Amino acid sequence: MALLKRKNKNSEEIPSTPYTKTTLITQIIMTIIAVLFLSPLAMILNYSFKTKKELYLNSPLALPEALQFDNYVKAFDKLNMQTTFVNTLFYTAASVLILALLCGTTAWAIARGKGKFFKFSYIYFIVGILIPYQALFLPIYTIGYKLNLTNTRHGIIFMYVATGISFGVFLMNSFMSTVPLELEESARIDGCSVFRTYFTVVLPLLKPAMATLIIMQSFQIWNDYLLASLYVSKKQLKTLTVAIQSLFSAQTSDYTTAMAAIVISVLPIAILFLSLQKYFIKGMTVGAVKG
Amino acid sequence: MRRKVVSALLTLSMVAGMFAGCGSSGSESADTAADAKTEESAKEADAKEEASAEEAADEEVTLTILAGQSTTDAGIEDMIGEALAEKYPNITLEWECVDWGNDFQPKMQQYMQSGLPDIMIGKAQDVATYAPLGVLGTIDDTYLDRGLDAARENVTIDGSTYGLVYNALYQGVYYNRAMFEENGWEIPDTQEQLQAIIDDCKAKGITPFASHMVDTWSIGNVTMQFMMNDVFNNTPDWGDQFREGKVKFETDKAAQTAYQYNKLIFDNTYPETFSLEQTECDAKMVQGEAAMKVSGSWSIQNFLGIDENFDFGIFPFPNQTGDSKLIFEPNITIMTSAETEHPDAVNAVLDVLTSDKELATEIYDYTMTASMLKDVTPTFANPSQSDIDKYAAEGRIVDVTLGNNQLVWGGFQEENAKDIASWLLEELSFEDALKASDVRVEASKAN
Amino acid sequence: MNRRKSSGMERKMSRQYLVLVLPGFLIFTIGLIIPLFLSFRYSLTDWDGMSAEMKFVGLQNYVKLFHDKEFLESFWFTVKFTIGNTIIQNICALLFALALDSGIKAQKFYRAAFFIPCLISAVIVGFVWLKLYSNVLPEINTWLGTNINFLLFGDADTVLGGLLIANNWQWIGYWMLIYLAGLQSVPAELYEAARVDGAGPIKRFFNVTIPMLAPAITICVVGITIGSLKVYDLLISSTKGGPGRASTSMIYQTYTTAINGRQYGYGSAMTVTLVIMLLLVALIQVKGLKKKEVQA
Repeated sequence: MALLKRKNKNSEEIPSTPYTKTTLITQIIMTIIAVLFLSPLAMILNYSFKTKKELYLNSPLALPEALQFDNYVKAFDKLNMQTTFVNTLFYTAASVLILALLCGTTAWAIARGKGKFFKFSYIYFIVGILIPYQALFLPIYTIGYKLNLTNTRHGIIFMYVATGISFGVFLMNSFMSTVPLELEESARIDGCSVFRTYFTVVLPLLKPAMATLIIMQSFQIWNDYLLASLYVSKKQLKTLTVAIQSLFSAQTSDYTTAMAAIVISVLPIAILFLSLQKYFIKGMTVGAVKG
Repeated sequence: MRRKVVSALLTLSMVAGMFAGCGSSGSESADTAADAKTEESAKEADAKEEASAEEAADEEVTLTILAGQSTTDAGIEDMIGEALAEKYPNITLEWECVDWGNDFQPKMQQYMQSGLPDIMIGKAQDVATYAPLGVLGTIDDTYLDRGLDAARENVTIDGSTYGLVYNALYQGVYYNRAMFEENGWEIPDTQEQLQAIIDDCKAKGITPFASHMVDTWSIGNVTMQFMMNDVFNNTPDWGDQFREGKVKFETDKAAQTAYQYNKLIFDNTYPETFSLEQTECDAKMVQGEAAMKVSGSWSIQNFLGIDENFDFGIFPFPNQTGDSKLIFEPNITIMTSAETEHPDAVNAVLDVLTSDKELATEIYDYTMTASMLKDVTPTFANPSQSDIDKYAAEGRIVDVTLGNNQLVWGGFQEENAKDIASWLLEELSFEDALKASDVRVEASKAN
Repeated sequence: MNRRKSSGMERKMSRQYLVLVLPGFLIFTIGLIIPLFLSFRYSLTDWDGMSAEMKFVGLQNYVKLFHDKEFLESFWFTVKFTIGNTIIQNICALLFALALDSGIKAQKFYRAAFFIPCLISAVIVGFVWLKLYSNVLPEINTWLGTNINFLLFGDADTVLGGLLIANNWQWIGYWMLIYLAGLQSVPAELYEAARVDGAGPIKRFFNVTIPMLAPAITICVVGITIGSLKVYDLLISSTKGGPGRASTSMIYQTYTTAINGRQYGYGSAMTVTLVIMLLLVALIQVKGLKKKEVQA
């Protein structure tokens, strides 16, 4: 109850009340929490600069004696970075682009199409969110090799699209009510086909939703472990997360390298988020309000 | 402004996608070219069926290899690749390296459906699992003869040998030699002698055993060591009897004793053993915090990696009758697919592995393991070698593959180890842990 | 005449919509739905996952499931993990969102600080917390001379708590963003109106904020529940289901049974059970929460 009370005071300040004592207290509390949240990240960074000797002889909390990038060089080498990084980037970019294209059109068509099939499709896709593909790995593999999809680039992309599409359609569908029907109708009167209507009228209005979709799918695919380990196990097709996981089990003795590898793998996706943050949050707003 | 940024980003991501797309299509066409080449070579090989390996050696061949590796093995794939490139530049190896404990079995299960890779590297016990399914090829005597005879025993089924054992590990109790000398401790042969050392350790504030029970595999591993000396030494077909219902964990005193040794370790190790990882555990041992560690050769890499001057020896964990043997485990075992399209190229790989002594020495030194090839001895200084030689001379060495074939690792030993962990943490009674092992009887068979 | 034309046009449009839906529909069906049906088929057999033989055993695997102590244990662990996550993550995410929305400075910094952990792979998160608990945090005891037990992964009683901390660290920021987005879209006039009506802060929170957040609450509750029921990645590089079996989730148990234990048919029965469970839970939650939304 006490907790609730404090929280209520906070919400009282909405939207632009002056900076009061309560705001200051909130600010201090949140700063402490934020520092706690960031400390594991600081630890990763700290370890990534330590030498193996420091790891065992110095206190775990001590800072590295010198700023040396040996671990990064080693991580780069051990992870076969020039291959795994490009692979992961390609799988992610291609899957996300296809997903952005497919989810938008599918969700829109489902929202606009009349008939039982479209209603059924909506439920069909939504149920997909609940299916734990993690538990279906063997039949997923069976299907994959029968269609010659295993150990190919298009195969893994196909799987990312298949497992990501249900959530994407759900997300896009919840945005469709923000697209005014009148605009579509006037486009149609102008003689636009359904396809052209989508690309010229609807798609531009879906930008925030697209940003949300791109970020959410990007980090999920970038970080995926299970599908990647199942579908692309050849050395020249491997992804970063799979390579890092094998580094964890193979290099228990030398986890400073693993820490450097973590930093390298998280950076690109963090940069993507920070640069798209504004649109992402806008997209979230629509999603959260429309449900 | 906002629109500009979005469009810029979209363009960027599209460009990136196209760029990446180009990259991929390029490499894909390269792949297909390679495929076409291999197909061609296969055709040609068919054409001159009687052609010798020497002649076929000129064709470009790509072989796929699935390597289930232990922590010490990562890195040997490059050594093998280099050595092969020297002798057979036309053969390219396409490696897929996975962790043996976690991922080898799942990968094999996958490939069982789509076709096995040309070569698989696992452990000796894998032969008993996969050979009866008819998917493994036999290994030619030419290559087997270059290895030690002992290597054949447990990878031979009905007269055919399906695995080439390349190196071996020793398992037992590693001890801090300097500490033993300082305190005047003798190598224990019996449980009483071991208990005396433990008591003395405790009196002096030394942790008797280093252990890292956070790793369930380590509990499973030491339990098999105990089972070897207290159960399989007397009853080599204990597993068969177990499946026939003649013996049970719930009633078999010897098997229970083997389980109970885990408690002895647990009561005399670091209190944080269930949070302690292998390397930290080994580091503590090297720094003199603990006197002994029930483990295997994989620890040597760690010990010497932390302190190259660390002096240690090895002795078998004493059993009830005082006649324990040192455990010997054939490790890297090369298996071939029964349906490989390039038998000559596969044989060329086996040839390099068994005949290139430089390569063999390099691998043994790197992994710090024992040789299973004739006339090849690793050159790294292994402080425990003198002890191994002593036990070998006395004939006190036993191959753990026997036990691993009698009671299989995946699905049985591994699961039992989880119950043992629960029992040590008092989440499960000892009786229930034994019962759980009995219930699992179906899963104990290699095949 | 006119009518026929428009219905013809509608048919044409309908066909075009169909063309737009079909590719996604097919990919989804092949990649996920067919494997699900395959799984159901395997669950009626005693297949080991490798050999060519496969015997039909009917519903035997499902019957076995309800007497399997290990499976039931993994079920309870998953349920406890899910309930813990749903409560902690929702409350914390909402509290954080309220705090960030209360007019504090540098909102962006906090937003990024809380969100970044969820950009990291769960495999990595597990590994990082393993190291934190076993290596880094105990050092704090040495510094402060305290005796706090940080070895949370090392004991069956604390491992759930340890995993909850790791999981919440990863995901609170994500759900916080959704709540934040919901909060910022509440029209200020509503609060004003409530204030004019003489509603105190508590009343305003329950009468204005919560109802306006209802869609966000639905998303968060369902999302967290479903995500937690599927937990697997987090475990493979941290506790590996241990110590003993104390942190074995349903999917983890399925994996060890189907693959390591070579009981593929039986493992498939676990999968199907889990899918049914997920469907039921989601259905109940969505129904319940939507009802609340309407009432509010």
